[in-house]
Amino acid sequence: MKQKADVLQGTLALMVLKTLDVLGPLHGYGIARRIEQISGDLLAVNQGTLYPVLLKLEQEGAIASAWGASENNRRARFYRLTRDGRKQLQAETKDWEQTAAIIARFFEAKAENLS
Amino acid sequence: MKSLRRFLTRLFNTATMRAQEERLREEIAEHIALQTAENLRAGLSSVEARRQAMLKFGGVEAMKQDFRAERSLLFIENLLGDLRNAGRSISRMPGLAAVIILSLAIGIGVNTTIFSWIQMILFQPMPAVHGAANFLMVEPRSETGGYPGASWLEYRDLQTQVPALRDIVASQMVPFNVGRPGQTERTHGQLVSGNYFSALGLKPVVGRFIRPEEAERPGTEPVIVISYDYWQTRFRGAPEAVGQKLRVNDRDLIVIGVAPREFQGTMVPLKFELWAPATMAPALLGGTRDIEDRGSRAFSLIGMLKPGATPQEAQAEFSTAMAQLARDYPDASAGIGGEILPFWSTPRGPQRLLISGLVILQGVMLLLLLAVCGNTANLMLARGSTRQREMAVRVALGAGRWRIVSLVLSENMLLALLGAGLGAAFAVWGTTALRIAPMIGAFPILFPTRVDAFTLVFAILLGTACGLIFSAAPAVHLARLDPQDGLRSSSNTPPRSRARKVLMGVEVGLAMVVLIAAALFLQSFRLASQSDPRFRPDGVLLAAYDLSGRNPDEASDREFAARLLERLRSLPDVEAAAIATNVPVDLHGIPHRSFTLQGRVRTEPGQDRAISNTVTPGYFKVMAIPLLEGNDFAEMRDKAAPAQAIVNEEFVRRYLDGADAIGHRIQTRTQSFAIIAVARNSAYDALGEPAQPAIYFSYRDRPQDQGEIHLRTRSGNETALTSEARAVLRDLDPMLPLYDVRTFSQHIERNLYLRRIPARMFAVLGPLLLGLAAIGIYAVVSYAVARRTREIGVRLAFGATSGRVVLQIICENLGGITWGAAIGWVLALVISLRLIAKGAVNFPVFIGVPAILLCVAALACWIPARRASRIDPMAALRHE
Repeated sequence: MKQKADVLQGTLALMVLKTLDVLGPLHGYGIARRIEQISGDLLAVNQGTLYPVLLKLEQEGAIASAWGASENNRRARFYRLTRDGRKQLQAETKDWEQTAAIIARFFEAKAENLS
Repeated sequence: MKSLRRFLTRLFNTATMRAQEERLREEIAEHIALQTAENLRAGLSSVEARRQAMLKFGGVEAMKQDFRAERSLLFIENLLGDLRNAGRSISRMPGLAAVIILSLAIGIGVNTTIFSWIQMILFQPMPAVHGAANFLMVEPRSETGGYPGASWLEYRDLQTQVPALRDIVASQMVPFNVGRPGQTERTHGQLVSGNYFSALGLKPVVGRFIRPEEAERPGTEPVIVISYDYWQTRFRGAPEAVGQKLRVNDRDLIVIGVAPREFQGTMVPLKFELWAPATMAPALLGGTRDIEDRGSRAFSLIGMLKPGATPQEAQAEFSTAMAQLARDYPDASAGIGGEILPFWSTPRGPQRLLISGLVILQGVMLLLLLAVCGNTANLMLARGSTRQREMAVRVALGAGRWRIVSLVLSENMLLALLGAGLGAAFAVWGTTALRIAPMIGAFPILFPTRVDAFTLVFAILLGTACGLIFSAAPAVHLARLDPQDGLRSSSNTPPRSRARKVLMGVEVGLAMVVLIAAALFLQSFRLASQSDPRFRPDGVLLAAYDLSGRNPDEASDREFAARLLERLRSLPDVEAAAIATNVPVDLHGIPHRSFTLQGRVRTEPGQDRAISNTVTPGYFKVMAIPLLEGNDFAEMRDKAAPAQAIVNEEFVRRYLDGADAIGHRIQTRTQSFAIIAVARNSAYDALGEPAQPAIYFSYRDRPQDQGEIHLRTRSGNETALTSEARAVLRDLDPMLPLYDVRTFSQHIERNLYLRRIPARMFAVLGPLLLGLAAIGIYAVVSYAVARRTREIGVRLAFGATSGRVVLQIICENLGGITWGAAIGWVLALVISLRLIAKGAVNFPVFIGVPAILLCVAALACWIPARRASRIDPMAALRHE
């Protein structure tokens, strides 16, 4: 159970980074919307879980935050990717693609190919 | 790197908690507002839009928890919470907390004070010298086991022959008479080798130190280094002091530098003020041959190991070197070996004696602290039990075992550390009190004790250890608590109280040991200070003179003493006058001397030894020691009489089997003496000591250049003689000061001083510990009784008399106490038989102390029991 949460958190962090990379500075709600649009039900409920992840990333220095005005002109916290965060994203994207490729090949493999 | 960064941020966040919380609240509000707006646009009603938004966001509180856990260091937050909680709960019990903190503070304060003393002797034996504990004593050792010191030439040889030691330093303690004729002042200093200050790693405050070449050739460099205190008092700390002349032992010396502030020489606790090159010895000590004569062993040597060398190597090299010297110079060095000793066990000065006494004292005081801990544990346990329900609620609400334990622990640790803090303050006060101890004996003594970082760490460690010790029982007790039980049980069910009873027994047992030790010590102290010295100290004035700067020989020493006595006896108020080399009951002890008695065959190996003192005729009259047989020594100027000796009763009993002593001959290394009289036994080393054999030699036969003048006054006011005695001496020799003038009573008082310190400690701490034990027992019993209110009510309702109830409660509680007391009593008895009394049991103490302790314990049980038995049965049954 704990492991699953970790995996979720890890992927969530990667999604956050990618979102900010593509769309530029965004507030928490904007990030949540974007992830929801792309990933479907992963964040359909419990959008709140996003905030601890944002905080963790900020503490690690991957993202930075500042106050700004939201669409309905209220104070909102805007997050943006830092240089460290961009590097981290690149590294993790590469890792992720490698892992995905390995797993994919593993699933494609048939018994006769392994002998 | 990343994790470190996170850690630091979290640490920072813990501090700025409130602002962060606010930010999160705002973000959530904004998130939900945006989602609601979105939902409204999608066509939901405003209420439904908000509801959906909230649902989608998820559990706000759970998320906040996650956020908090992510944001800050949970354990620090918990700790702070615990501390706040501990502070609150301590402030709810001010009386109890005060008792606990104060008793811990006293226990820790006393221990820290003693520890600061021990650590001074062991680890920082020379103030202002870094790494002083690494110095070793380099001591030539004679066959008979004495440490005669090293000669200057021997020192020069050893410098090169013990390669395992670097920078061997030589020093000799010398009395200096400083000042112009007629107004000289006695000061103590050291004659030192040229590497003295550099080897000790000292830097001068002003000026420079003695250079190695200044201690090469005899008498060439009349220079002197002064102590910081001397510089402040005599030169008012003026830098111009350097270069000025100081008249020392009738010679002009140039002040070249000032030693660092705390530095007091290499024979702590002796405090020296002046340092001159060793090669000045002939000039300053009246033509002494100290630096050319191998037989004159006046110097004491210390050295530090070279890096990588071991004491064993140094010892081996030193032994070889001494053996070689014994072969090369058989006259001076035959039979003299060598021993490398740790610095604290120096054969000179009181260190060795002090350290064993202090270690015992520390042991007793640690037991006392342990008893205090037991008491505190008991109090906390009693209190902890009343909080069972609170803890049960906490457990039921999801607090883990560790949270409960840490809650209890933090509360107790806070108490313990408060106690340690206050204890450290006590220790600062205590060590300062030790520092300003009066001068003891003829030598200036300063114990450089102080509370430094090391001692503070000790106090804190002690506090932590105490906290852990007295937390253990309550913490375990509460952590094992089953929440259901805790909530269900009303406070009327008597809980299992074995832990408390055992603790009570342990505490009483420890108190018993400490109280018996205190009582034994106090009694021996009182006996000693009141015991009859078997001489009459009142009405006697003591004063010392020293001719060693006068280039004296035997004839001039004898003549000086004879003339001095004639002049003193002619004073109208003087009933009797005498001179002796030693004064009884001196802190430094009286020398023992080995001898052979003609006609006596020793059965066991070794040599006969006795106390020896050299005195002038008239000594026994001044001291009021009767001569049981024979007559006093021949007059000082009598040239005809053979060498004489007077022995005491114990000498006759031990070495002559009570036979007629007069006429027997005593042979020392150099001379033969005829016994002419037997004196009554008296005290020599300490008041109340067992009888020791003693030999008195005559000043006529063995003239000395130093002497202690003893004057018995006719009028009873001995201090009135001071100025007359000074005038007499000034007439005889204007450059010679009379020093260390004191009445005999003052002399005894001064030497009891070191024993008075622990005596005072015990006198204060004994009753205190008794009080603490009483409070501990009272608290436990009154708690236990309060829990049994209903039971007592039932008993009373069924017709039990209140007397019976009281008796039953006392008996129940006294059981454990008696067990503890008995074990403590046996322990104390064994220790006392093994260590102190060697066979004799001090019955008044071993019966009195338990009696008092048990009475106090019974009283402490009786008060709460009586209160409980007085309640109205109806009220008791309605209770709760």
